[in-house]
Amino acid sequence: MEHVVSIQSLEKHYGPLRALGGVSLDVERATVFGLLGQNGAGKTTLVKILLGMLVPTSGSARLLGRPVGSAAARREVGYLPEDHRLPEYHTGPSLLDVYGGLQGLPRQERRNRAAELLDMLGLAGREKLRIRGYSKGMKQRLGLAQALLHRPSVLFLDEPTDGVDPVGRKQIRDLLLAERARGVTIFINSHLLGEVEQVCDRVAILKQGQLALIGTVPEVVGEKATWLVAFDRPVPDDHRWSAARLTPGGAEGLWRLHLDSADGIDRFQEEARGRGFLLRHLERERGTLEETYLALADAGGPSS
Amino acid sequence: MSDLKEISSRDPACRPGPLRSFAAMLRDAWLAFLDARILWLLLAAIVVLFAVALSARVEPQPGGRRYLALAARALSADVAGIDITKDSLADVAGRLDGSLSWIAKAEPVPPATDDGPATTWAVTLARNVVPLVGRLATSTDIENRFGQIPDGRLWTVSEIRETTTGMAAAMGSQTWDMTVAPGPDLLILWPHRFSLFGDSLELTRPEGAPLGLEVFILQKLLANGIGGTILLLVSVVVTAAFVPTMLRKGTLELLLVRPLARWQLIAFTYVAALLFVAGLLGLLILATWLVTGLLTGLWSPGILLALPTLLLFFAMLLSVSVFTGVVTRSAVAAMLVTVASWAVLFIVGLLHMQVVASRIREEKPRPVSVADALRPQSQPVRREQPAAARMPFHTTTVAGVVEAVYAVLPHTEDLDTIVDRQLMRDFAVGGRLRQLMESPDFNWVRGVGLALAHAAAFLIAACVLFSRRDP
Repeated sequence: MEHVVSIQSLEKHYGPLRALGGVSLDVERATVFGLLGQNGAGKTTLVKILLGMLVPTSGSARLLGRPVGSAAARREVGYLPEDHRLPEYHTGPSLLDVYGGLQGLPRQERRNRAAELLDMLGLAGREKLRIRGYSKGMKQRLGLAQALLHRPSVLFLDEPTDGVDPVGRKQIRDLLLAERARGVTIFINSHLLGEVEQVCDRVAILKQGQLALIGTVPEVVGEKATWLVAFDRPVPDDHRWSAARLTPGGAEGLWRLHLDSADGIDRFQEEARGRGFLLRHLERERGTLEETYLALADAGGPSS
Repeated sequence: MSDLKEISSRDPACRPGPLRSFAAMLRDAWLAFLDARILWLLLAAIVVLFAVALSARVEPQPGGRRYLALAARALSADVAGIDITKDSLADVAGRLDGSLSWIAKAEPVPPATDDGPATTWAVTLARNVVPLVGRLATSTDIENRFGQIPDGRLWTVSEIRETTTGMAAAMGSQTWDMTVAPGPDLLILWPHRFSLFGDSLELTRPEGAPLGLEVFILQKLLANGIGGTILLLVSVVVTAAFVPTMLRKGTLELLLVRPLARWQLIAFTYVAALLFVAGLLGLLILATWLVTGLLTGLWSPGILLALPTLLLFFAMLLSVSVFTGVVTRSAVAAMLVTVASWAVLFIVGLLHMQVVASRIREEKPRPVSVADALRPQSQPVRREQPAAARMPFHTTTVAGVVEAVYAVLPHTEDLDTIVDRQLMRDFAVGGRLRQLMESPDFNWVRGVGLALAHAAAFLIAACVLFSRRDP
């Protein structure tokens, strides 16, 4: 598997403060990778090291097989920082023209690409408006446009949907998934865990500068002891089950199944068959990223 | 949809060469510059001022007989090679040839012509030679020397015929009938009245002032006064925000992620700001040259030297501003420190000039100049005599401190002197100021060198510091 991001034992200290304490992880090509953690957990420090803006105290990191911070690596990177401040004297096209020029895009290409992105991100028709007249959501879209301008191989996005309305969020999610389909690797920092769950293939949770959890979303959130079940016909309210307890599942005909023991699901299926019920739906319930995140935040140590 | 091939960050066409990056920074700085309202206000004020200047009336006053008389007086001494900024009255006296010349008669040609700087004259010149000291002059001598003064040539003799009789020649008296045309430098010294808003605001005495002096003052006022002070001050205010704005959180990251070195961000911003100020100064100075040329017909290009010197001065200030911006990341701090350093340079330069002036006063008596020679008799030249009880300024402790401080600072006065010397030579401006300007204490090579070194030192320090600091 091709690793776009490869980090080994990365540490960063600010004087006595340890912002990162030996983080190691790899991110494969064409994945959306979510980096989660509370404020001060070390997310931004990690991203800034990968972008060459900060020098690590120890450890190593490579981006696209090149040392982080090299001009060759930065040429293929797009970045949207959190709380970015775009120069307000620009219009959208003029800002993209300047950033495109710094990125090395030829003039005609950056103009075409700017027009394409402004259209794609719902900013078409506002070409003459200066950024000081933009709403927060418009600034966020323009920030995303500058990150995508040069068709980077890796995208680092810090809160990409911050301040964007629900329709805009959907547009941005679709755009990111389209970029992933093109082979782009996307690194997302976000506190919007629902969105992370929707778009990320893998997530990592940082806590106090260390990696607390990493894996696919299902791996990270884990499975619960409850199942959701639906029968082929209504179940009388006074029906009692020997191996399980049923409670309403939140939808018509759907029940939540609470099992007494580890082999309870097999015993429950046998009992249902014995009583003449057919199971139309049976699925183990999963946790949510938010539950995992909050549980981790409440726990004491970084790896607990 | 574009017909062009889609280019991604991996394509060879997508290479951020320094020129492309610099062009992008230039565009960014251009838009930041245009966004400054104070700049537009200033430009509007300058346009109004130039319009007022263009509406000025510059009218020649009668002066032919006075200048012919001056040319005749100058025949009594060999003035070739006299430096009016250095040579004293005694030096001139040493060159007297033992003769006395005067204009016996002068009439415009043709007779009804006004007395103006383009008028040709029919002149009768008389000359007496002191026996045993002087010698008789030939017509060729008179033709060559009539109208020649240290600042240039006032008159040229187009026809000359000696009318001396044999008896008179024996007694040392000679006469010539001549036709005298204006020389190339007559217009510069010709008295002109200068007024604004029609004739409602007279800026000269009724008899006028030498045109060159008027142009000198006007050019200094417009280029040095407005360009060198107000425009540069506004430029300091506007450009002080460039680096701190670039370095603020949320903006800096968007630049640092680009594939160019950190020092390039600072250096490109610096050069871009310098180029825009160069453009503004260039326009102002060019406009000054055009306005004075159109008003007076004097097109000496000396004032154009103000562009490189003022720009070099601004380059120095900008380097301080950029350095302070990198250290403090505050536009207000960058502006205040830059203005304060400007004030220090100005005050120290001014005090140093006083030291030099004091030294000159002690070294030489007041020089003779054409301006002095043309001064009406009712306004005798004021002779500066240091009071016996007063200690000359250049010998005081304060002067010693000033000299020591001046030695370690950039010599901005040297830069001013480059332009002032050229203008004074172009427009035959004499007097004490010119003597001061021509003083060897002002050395333009040293001034340019120190200014460049100072600007480079602060800029390099800013680049190094920025490259080593975490954002």
